[in-house]
Amino acid sequence: MRRIMKRLGALWHRRRLDRDLQDELAFHLAMSEGQTGDPGVACRRLGNVTALKETTRDLWSFAFLESCWHDFRSAMRTLRANPQLTAVAALALGLGLGANTTVFTVVSSALSFDMGVDHVERMVALHPGPGAADLDPAAPSPLDFLDLRKQVRTLGDLAAYRYTAVNVSDGHAPAERLWRVEMTASGWAMVRQKPLLGREFSPRDEAPGATPEVLLSHKLWDSRYGRDASIVGRAIRIDDVEREVIGVMPPGAQFPEDCDLWTPLTVEELTDPAFRNQLTIFGRLAGSTTLAAAQSEVEALAQRRFGAKTNGPLARVRPFLEMIGVYNMRPVLMAMVFAVGFVLLIVCADVANLLLARSAARAREISIRIAIGAGRARIVRQLLIESVLLAAVGGVAGWMVAILGLRWFENMVAQGHVPSWVHFAMNARGFAYLAAISIGAGILFGLAPALDLSKVDVNSAIKDGGHGAAGAARGRRFAGLLVGFQMALCVILLAGAGLMIHSTLNLYNAPMAINPQNILTMRLALPETKYASEESVRAFYRRLKTDLGALPGVSQVALTSNLPLSGWMSFRGELDGAAATKSAELDALVVDRDYFHALGVGLRKGEGFSGGPRPEAIVNRSLAEKFWPGEDPLGKRLRIARRAGRGPWLEVVGVAPELPQDLMRPLERQPLIYLPFDSQPEPSIYVMARTAVPPATLVEAFRHAVENLDRNLPAQNVSALEDRISSSRLNVSSFGRLFSLFAAIALVLASVGLYAVVAHTVSRRTQEIGIRMALGGTRKDIFGLVLKQGMRQVAGGLAAGIPVALVVTRALSRGLVGVSPTDPATYAGVAVVLALAGFLGCALPARRAIRIDPLAALRHE
Amino acid sequence: MGKNRGELVQGTLDMLILRTLARGPMHGWGIAQQIHQISDDVLRVEEGSLYPALHRMELDGWIDAEWGQSENRRRAKYYRLTARGRKALRQEASHWSELVEAIARVMEAV
Repeated sequence: MRRIMKRLGALWHRRRLDRDLQDELAFHLAMSEGQTGDPGVACRRLGNVTALKETTRDLWSFAFLESCWHDFRSAMRTLRANPQLTAVAALALGLGLGANTTVFTVVSSALSFDMGVDHVERMVALHPGPGAADLDPAAPSPLDFLDLRKQVRTLGDLAAYRYTAVNVSDGHAPAERLWRVEMTASGWAMVRQKPLLGREFSPRDEAPGATPEVLLSHKLWDSRYGRDASIVGRAIRIDDVEREVIGVMPPGAQFPEDCDLWTPLTVEELTDPAFRNQLTIFGRLAGSTTLAAAQSEVEALAQRRFGAKTNGPLARVRPFLEMIGVYNMRPVLMAMVFAVGFVLLIVCADVANLLLARSAARAREISIRIAIGAGRARIVRQLLIESVLLAAVGGVAGWMVAILGLRWFENMVAQGHVPSWVHFAMNARGFAYLAAISIGAGILFGLAPALDLSKVDVNSAIKDGGHGAAGAARGRRFAGLLVGFQMALCVILLAGAGLMIHSTLNLYNAPMAINPQNILTMRLALPETKYASEESVRAFYRRLKTDLGALPGVSQVALTSNLPLSGWMSFRGELDGAAATKSAELDALVVDRDYFHALGVGLRKGEGFSGGPRPEAIVNRSLAEKFWPGEDPLGKRLRIARRAGRGPWLEVVGVAPELPQDLMRPLERQPLIYLPFDSQPEPSIYVMARTAVPPATLVEAFRHAVENLDRNLPAQNVSALEDRISSSRLNVSSFGRLFSLFAAIALVLASVGLYAVVAHTVSRRTQEIGIRMALGGTRKDIFGLVLKQGMRQVAGGLAAGIPVALVVTRALSRGLVGVSPTDPATYAGVAVVLALAGFLGCALPARRAIRIDPLAALRHE
Repeated sequence: MGKNRGELVQGTLDMLILRTLARGPMHGWGIAQQIHQISDDVLRVEEGSLYPALHRMELDGWIDAEWGQSENRRRAKYYRLTARGRKALRQEASHWSELVEAIARVMEAV
């Protein structure tokens, strides 16, 4: 510390210190001379005065830092002296660094899972296991929250919640459809954040007869109530129950799911068996318990509760995060990080090649520095400071690219559902990452040229005048290796992009079997509180259909639980005569009798729903072939578990063609059952109308029709079916578009790298080529010669890249639609694209080579 | 052996300088001369390493420096021991005598 202070002081009096040292040594010499009488002897005894001064002066100064500063200034001069090289390199680096920072910021934010709960990775969710399918379909779930809460030891903070859409109405704004979490008070014990206003739920709110209450999310408080603090204490209607607002949560609070409001689960609800089956139970691993220990305890409890013999476990304990879509997309997100990292590596290789090409010209300068005494480490350091400085300039450009990139990203995903913890803003972490990769890239692309130059042979370099510097052959070989490496990275990126493009094509080209044009859709959800009886639900939709059908331009109105390519419902049920499946998980849609007609699809067999008193069902062809192969499905029977029990037997009255419901697997055939709305009136349903006019013109009329029937009922997402499908496809294909962008950039950069190396070789070999031509080499020979040299690297890159790509692209499989990660056609395409790009990269310099005039070439120095 | 005669044992230069300065302030030349004379011409300070050592100790705060007049009326830089330097000298000296005794024991053992 004292030393540093004294040295800092010395910075100000440097000249005086130098003079003092000079005087001190002069005095010494004078005394010495007086004693020996010979100035020569005196000098010899003191030794090398300059070195002595330097050593002493170094004691007083920050020698290392000062020489770094010196290197830094000389690096600035070098960069300024080559503005073109600096600009090209900084631009390429800026793109690479910026793209990396963008992807890192988005992915790290998406994978932070910051739900306002500490140690979210220790949280688990309890699900029924595969063995539960063997139980009576009407039996309650093997996981009972109240039982578990009493008995389980391996889990702490056991809580349960239900996630449903509710209708909210009050005096403030039109009725709205919002997402609600109903959760036990124990769930609130885990939440880190406290309400911004008011209070949170307490165990008191679970008690029977407690006042109905609600907590608002910040975004709802903002959007619906304009941040009016007086809302706390007032009542709002949620599914036609008056609830008192007790508080507002801070921004970003969302637990356990992204919802608009929270209400407490009461003991009455917890004891209702039908309700209990809809709960998701979760907890936190107690102490140092492992997932496996919790699994076996929960399974033992479930077995004790049922005691039945089942195939497979009754319960599954899984990490809570698995329920979140983004969590399952982790491999794809990580693949994006790697893909963009590869782009940066390719950029680094390009810049390294640029610097290598320049190193021949700098050999002379470096040789002189070595000759006057600079050590190898010093030379490497100087060159590295130069490249890190170059990278820092690139980093600044990258910062701007990242800001634009994040804005672009935000716009792209704006339509999709984004968890609230994902932020598209440059944060400190992203900035630290940018700084780290900038310096890392600087060292990476600078190291090879620096090591190469520091090995320069001083004698020949100075004599050569910087032309055929020794070590150039090694440099060229290294440049060739770099290009091969770029090509290999390109193969991996192209393979990923190719698979994703293939997958996107599948997504868009999958036969929909319907014509989605001119269909207007909207979602309605009747609150159970107001529409308690099935008859009231039926009556509401009957009136709505009549009203909508009377609108000019509407030709057909139908109801369905799920729109085409938008999922399905799952039931437990059984099929008549299908031996293997006493109880099965069945996929079904609830539709009314006009559904197929509105879609313009005819049944393959049978008449369809008659609307008569007999319970009916329609199955699709896959289901008929799966469960009743070779038999006539008409007249077969099946039944579906209902809330209250097994449900009646339904007779198959029609066979529908394949209408894909699974957006991600549109090519797979999915066995489906269509249940009649009349006997299974779902309160939440999509209304779908085929129109004779553009659907957008009817949106307002649809909203009015709903409002006329029930002022408190919001009409949700009134939009054309075509738009819905294309926006969900866009979400699925956005990864593919991004990947293709990366691959395209990589391909261009790698081809430029190849071009630079081949062009450099051609210019070095001008004389040799001239001699070959003079000796009778044809243009074809010369072209082939140059081409062969370049294509060797392309071939090497392919050979090295394909095996790696085959392994790496497995990470993408979750994001792929109907294409295997090892799809041979894709790989063939990759090889062709790379070969073409490589050919272009070589052909331009090769054309220059064949234009060489032998006479001029021989005079060329 | 004869070649190394008079060369200082590694690490003892600081101690000798401090001991010399304990008698009173002195300039670099004088320090070298005193060590030479008191040791009966046995020890010879490498003049090239004297000044870096002085400056290092000055930075460490073991000695202070100040310009003054020499015996022959020339401007000379005089070094003076500080309290920290005295403490350092005690430590170095005791360490040195331990070392000498230890070497002696080894040499006397049969």
